[in-house]
Amino acid sequence: MNTKELLKGNIAIAKAALNCGCTCYFGYPITPQTEIGEYLSLEMQKNKLAYVCAESEIAAINMALGAASTGAKVMTSSSSCAVSLMQETISYACSDELPIVIVNVMRAGPGQGYIFPSQGDYNQATVGGGNGDYHTIVLSPTNVQECIDLTYKAFYLAQKYRNPVILLADGLLGQMAEPAELTDNPYPQIDNSNWRLDGANSRPSREIHSLEINQNKLNQHIINIYKKYEAIEKDECDFEEYLCEDAQIIFTAFGSLARHVKSVCNYYRSKGIKVGLFRPKTLYPFPYKKLNELSKKTPIFIDVEMNMGQMLKDIRLAILSNARISFIGKPVGNWLKEEEIINATDNIIKEHYASI
Amino acid sequence: MIRNFIISGSGGQGVLSIGTILANIFMLSNKYVNFCPCYGAEMRGGAVNCEINASDNELLTLQNSEVDIVVALNQTSFDKFISKVKRNGTIIVNSSLAKINKTRDDIKYIFAPMTQEAVRLGNIKIANSIALGIISKITDNFSIEKVKEAYEKILKNKTELIQKNLEAYLTGYNYLLERQ
Amino acid sequence: MQVYSAPKTIKENSDFTFCPGCDHGLAIKIVAQIIDELNLKENTIAVASSGCSVFLYNFLDVDCIESPHGRACAVATGVKRAHKANGDNKFVFTYQGDGDFASIGLSESMHSALRGENITAICINNTNYGMTGGQLGPTTIMGQITTTSQNGRNKEYHGFPIKTAEQIALCEGTSFSARVALYDIKNIINAKNTIKKAFEYQIENLGFSFVEILSSCPTNWKLSPKESHEKIKNELSKTFPLGIFKDIKND
Repeated sequence: MNTKELLKGNIAIAKAALNCGCTCYFGYPITPQTEIGEYLSLEMQKNKLAYVCAESEIAAINMALGAASTGAKVMTSSSSCAVSLMQETISYACSDELPIVIVNVMRAGPGQGYIFPSQGDYNQATVGGGNGDYHTIVLSPTNVQECIDLTYKAFYLAQKYRNPVILLADGLLGQMAEPAELTDNPYPQIDNSNWRLDGANSRPSREIHSLEINQNKLNQHIINIYKKYEAIEKDECDFEEYLCEDAQIIFTAFGSLARHVKSVCNYYRSKGIKVGLFRPKTLYPFPYKKLNELSKKTPIFIDVEMNMGQMLKDIRLAILSNARISFIGKPVGNWLKEEEIINATDNIIKEHYASI
Repeated sequence: MIRNFIISGSGGQGVLSIGTILANIFMLSNKYVNFCPCYGAEMRGGAVNCEINASDNELLTLQNSEVDIVVALNQTSFDKFISKVKRNGTIIVNSSLAKINKTRDDIKYIFAPMTQEAVRLGNIKIANSIALGIISKITDNFSIEKVKEAYEKILKNKTELIQKNLEAYLTGYNYLLERQ
Repeated sequence: MQVYSAPKTIKENSDFTFCPGCDHGLAIKIVAQIIDELNLKENTIAVASSGCSVFLYNFLDVDCIESPHGRACAVATGVKRAHKANGDNKFVFTYQGDGDFASIGLSESMHSALRGENITAICINNTNYGMTGGQLGPTTIMGQITTTSQNGRNKEYHGFPIKTAEQIALCEGTSFSARVALYDIKNIINAKNTIKKAFEYQIENLGFSFVEILSSCPTNWKLSPKESHEKIKNELSKTFPLGIFKDIKND
């Protein structure tokens, strides 16, 4: 039996959240992610779960912060310029070590930009717009099925590491419908009885705060958080390799744009040119190590993004001087088409690598 | 097989619903498919369109500059999307709401008075299903069971409406036969 | 015979770190006494805010989360609703300054009241930003000298102060809104009864309950504790009259 359903990315995210036990959603409308809140408004009220049409994204993320402190599975969703509004509280949540799933269905920027899709929030998500030393885990889906799979993973990693997780989708993926299967949540429940705030009943009272007036304690707190990030970097890197094994050229791309790049790989392979694709699924932790290994045997890397080269910096950090790196990108709007990528690639090859 | 479509019209003409049904038919026929609607402010002012891609293999292309088939349910959509038809592709036009005017000579045209036919069938809103019937006839000849199943997925238990839509679908499907 | 002891809900060995003569300590003690009397200690989650009020968790022996500046009511909304979704009715209150509640957080505060969020907010109004050294805030009264209104608050540069309890009373979701002061025994007893009532309204699920406490800030007002209380009695309570501005049971 075909258990697949034609699902919009936004609806897939909402359904997956409910399916893995999300009991709290707080949000404010913004195109192109509004369907998430619309869908959940009905479903969550039906089941008497926590749902608030917040007065702003600032209120929404802070409601999420409060709800997360109770140990509940919590989600908020928004887009680009409005995710900017949440940055302060994301920084708090990292210091408070509170698990919140934040969905960013990217639109064009900077500023208000417009509603067409873009990948311009790579920096905002991976580097963060809040103050202080912190990281958020960032997951990047490429199709609607991964919107489901990575939503499950986002809730799991958030609880496992007590840290906010950003699901970084884009307007195209959020709006697009594809057949996808609402599989069961494959991840185990994480026990949070040793930290959640549910009343100091038969135990000492607990405090969750980022303020620390003792500088030694604050130092130690941040060092401890960074030990956690070390573990995340060691254990949670996730990526897809496509025809990289014997490739002379490896493309790097993330999110739904990577599919166009994959199609470009097929084109070059059909011409006998050995081309592959490396797609990080976790943008933080970034798979530096794997990319570095690949760069020791592949001489040419071409990074393709729907922005002005934000992931490019991480690619360079991974590859160092092991291989040549070129960039193909444009900031916003219709995804770079296969023929555009092919033309640009041909030019790069002609200009720099005539020997291939 | 890779096929792509743009369906376009104005709000209330059922552009997105017929696009969803078409995408569901491909899914139920075990094809890879994706459906990209226009959204947000693009829809203000009443113009609606969506793109559907279907393939036997994993779909890697999400947005096309040109498609095999454009459905234009009114004049505005005809004017806007005729340039998106591939060479030797087809534009299916609702001639009840658009002029019969062949502005390009490298594509095929099917003009059908869909709104008029829908009114004759008793429901102006099922003109979109007539377009679906024409698509089926000129492309894959969908199995009627799959078509029915797709309607049932979207319209749930509105049996009368499903029946009406299937009637419109068959009217569209047979439209070319009758004209030949 | 023991005639007096600290409330159970005050942490043992906690020395208040507030300035001498500041009313924060008294306000926190009153809150602790009420938590004892209503037997709420094991069922409470408190939300502290930014500013002097942030240290709440150092003194109050209940589960407590600090909120970003101004967002205490939003954080409390999340805490309350998450527990409710889990089938638990927890007692949730915020403890905020006037800058937190009525300036940077006015939106969160007022929308929580409009939603009838079943939480209690306590707002310490000392007419300035205390923690940062006494700048002009939303409640600074006309003519008041602060470090950013060195010639006194005037309407040309600064506009007018907000009457928070009256504003919150206007929100349909508010069950109770009152203003109290702590400058003498009579008022302290009244403040305690009033806050207790606000807490009880939450327990009875009546909606958003709110108490604004006129409080002294001797350090930044550059007055003695006694003079500070006289200022509250003679000056502040003219701009900010004491009383109940909404009581869903009596209106």
